[in-house]
Amino acid sequence: MPPPRGAEDFDPGLARERTRLAWTRTAIAFAAVGAAVLKTHLVAGLTVLGLAGIVWGLRQLFRDRAVSGSQRARLLGVTLTVVAVALVALVLSFVGHSR
Amino acid sequence: MATADHSGDPGMAAEAEGAPVQETEPDARYTFANERTFLAWTRTALAFILAGLGIVQLLPPFPGVPWGRHLLGVPLIAIGAAIAVVGYWQWEGNQKALRRGEPIRRSSLPRLLAAAIAALAIVTAVVLLLSAMH
Repeated sequence: MPPPRGAEDFDPGLARERTRLAWTRTAIAFAAVGAAVLKTHLVAGLTVLGLAGIVWGLRQLFRDRAVSGSQRARLLGVTLTVVAVALVALVLSFVGHSR
Repeated sequence: MATADHSGDPGMAAEAEGAPVQETEPDARYTFANERTFLAWTRTALAFILAGLGIVQLLPPFPGVPWGRHLLGVPLIAIGAAIAVVGYWQWEGNQKALRRGEPIRRSSLPRLLAAAIAALAIVTAVVLLLSAMH
């Protein structure tokens, strides 16, 4: 099979676009969690909304790097971010108070 | 996708002799598909976290069951974190299998998801019944 350089030739054009849209949906999901956290804790909510912005930015990066090693780092980063958001949500469940 | 046919596969033969398995860059479409699957599980994880947070923070307390919201919300958030981590493991495993031309292993996430939803449904029913009896 040809090296990564020729990968673009295999792409019928839609796989790339579908993946970009998947990143967009994921960023929107992050923003939804951010909005929910915002209702309880201003700083934590703004932080999660900021993370949504970063995920939105990652949407563009894969354009050049989909088949390189950085893909792994980005996906691992997203995973650890979700775990961190879950921990924040757990803390807020016990100490947070709705306004 | 990848087939289980290893006859004449140089990678498998090399592995049998102790040499490193031969890896090649998979078709970009498979790499993208694997990434989208990971992202879909990530959104599922975020939905669980959002649901847990919503139950604990937005719902009024169940009458007579003051701990009811936490009993439902905390597991939802924990399951969300677990789905995110398992989703990443599977992305990694799938990518490795694609690179080696090996078959994709069956995902354990559907079973985890089904078990979690069933358990939560039972707990929800119990909390609602306890609240109704109050």
